[in-house]
Amino acid sequence: MNSNQIVLLPILIPLAGAFIILLLRSWKRWQARMAFMIMLLSLASSGWLVYQVWLNDEAVIFQLGGWIAPFGISLVADYLSVFMVLMSQLVLLLGVAYAMGAKDNNIKYPTFYPLFLTLGVGLTGALLSGDFFNLFVFAELLVISGTILTAISDDRLGAEAAYKYFYISLLASAFLLLAIGSLYISYGSLNMADLAVRIQSNPSQPLLPFAIALLTATFMVKSAVFPFHFWQPDFHTAAPTAVSAMLSSVVVKLGVYGFLRMTTLVFVNQSEELKLLLIGLGVVGVIIGGLSAIGTQNAKRMLAYSTLAQVGFILIGIGWGTPLSIAAALVFTFNHSLIKAAMLMLAGSVASRSKAKSAAFEVVTGVGKSMPYAGVLFFIGSLALAGIPPTNGFINKYLIFESGLNSDAFLVVILLALGGILTLIYTMRAFQKIWWHPLPDADRLKAYGDRLVAPSLLIIFVVALGLWAQPLIQFSQVTSAWLLDPQNYIQSVLDTIIALGW
Amino acid sequence: MEVLTAIAIGILFAIGIFQMLRRNVIRSAIGLIILSNAINLFLLSTGDFQGIQPAYVDTPAALRSDALPQALVLTAIVISMGGIAFVLSLLYVISSRYKTSDLDEIQGLKN
Repeated sequence: MNSNQIVLLPILIPLAGAFIILLLRSWKRWQARMAFMIMLLSLASSGWLVYQVWLNDEAVIFQLGGWIAPFGISLVADYLSVFMVLMSQLVLLLGVAYAMGAKDNNIKYPTFYPLFLTLGVGLTGALLSGDFFNLFVFAELLVISGTILTAISDDRLGAEAAYKYFYISLLASAFLLLAIGSLYISYGSLNMADLAVRIQSNPSQPLLPFAIALLTATFMVKSAVFPFHFWQPDFHTAAPTAVSAMLSSVVVKLGVYGFLRMTTLVFVNQSEELKLLLIGLGVVGVIIGGLSAIGTQNAKRMLAYSTLAQVGFILIGIGWGTPLSIAAALVFTFNHSLIKAAMLMLAGSVASRSKAKSAAFEVVTGVGKSMPYAGVLFFIGSLALAGIPPTNGFINKYLIFESGLNSDAFLVVILLALGGILTLIYTMRAFQKIWWHPLPDADRLKAYGDRLVAPSLLIIFVVALGLWAQPLIQFSQVTSAWLLDPQNYIQSVLDTIIALGW
Repeated sequence: MEVLTAIAIGILFAIGIFQMLRRNVIRSAIGLIILSNAINLFLLSTGDFQGIQPAYVDTPAALRSDALPQALVLTAIVISMGGIAFVLSLLYVISSRYKTSDLDEIQGLKN
């Protein structure tokens, strides 16, 4: 086995595992355990991938079928990809762990765990693929798995929310295919590295701005950025808790990944307007997301709106485009995934204690009285979301503010600080309603709910990364230095030095 | 011929988008089908598709079709078929639950 074939493992292990555990459908308990073991193995392989990249300080490239780079399909595990893959697989593993302890009916369906694993395959594959068409295929796998998981939700609005999302996301795929066609007709290649070289040498093709606009729209839908966010709160509220914790934390990061690739690799010289757009929409997202989260009456929906705001912070970091701000955006991406997954799991486990099975505040008011441990976790998570030490949320907010001050973007920084205050208002309001208010009537309560193992582990990570943030920051800084020189990526994929005036 | 193809694809796009914006869920699903076919034709035409000319034969370059977009279109057709089948099944669930096919009456999420 070639050492660079390890790039395949984080994709192949869950993909093969999804089919294996489909055969175990009659043994529910073993199916869940196998799913957990498969995700653990997959996480271990992506950890090994990160170690390989870090140790050799170069990307691990695998050319599928032995076709050399611009002609075949390349799987590229550079710093950015392995960073995102490790984050996704860590959260997905804990998502499986949450599902194992959850009391939802849909978890008992034989296809729940296989679809959960294919969700992971889609996400990992999209992050690792080196060309746009492969990204499209994996993104479709991700979308279809996520939609089916939402459509089978216990929430009776699940099917409606899934329809809404799937419609939007088929449109996003249409945008992506049109962009792929425009890029192919202009440059005759779909490999990202090859495209970067060709666009650099001939930037005046008439279809190029069209392709950039379509790709931007696609990734905005994937990330639920402000004008394309309207499906997101419904979809993330209606999904089963284990799934919505994935959707709102790691799945929305696919768009973030896309924007990073667009601004630092494929369209470097055309990215100024895109960066301005990202800053503008990011600020609007932070404010609108914060205000909507304050205005909503459902804990899960509040957290879904909060994702809109937090993704705004990340986009602003990408938009500033300095080494520090990109590192800050990466740290923010990692930390937000952990925090948001933990918070959604806690909101879901609170909802699972009420007989109405809803996270609406009128249902869950006072439910927290009987679960003080979840209250402690939720409180720490709220602090992290608002960016208060000693949690990792403080680290990423601090880095974003510092990079903003270094870029002299004072107005944006003030608006972001306002967004941070909004975060504190809505999380504390939710905490107060669920844990401080008296329970209006004890009949509403069920004796048991979802287990708290997965959110506890996530909150441990949240605090640990707040107290010992140095490795994460260092890795992000190396990643951002790697990203800001597109030649790194191009050379490692194309294997030849192409001197075209970089 | 190229102009004719371009105009045909454009008209398909227009019909697809118009149908997608209708209130009737079945019509909007059909609009989605037409739109995805328009996109597939667009992808096919990016490969300098020459109608009856096969890809990669010993013909002069001007008469040769590019094989890659045909592979892309095959994949895209399969994916959009799966997607549309799923949309139709979701529509069946939703319309039998709300007893209507009018999008304005399907508003459980609005409250």
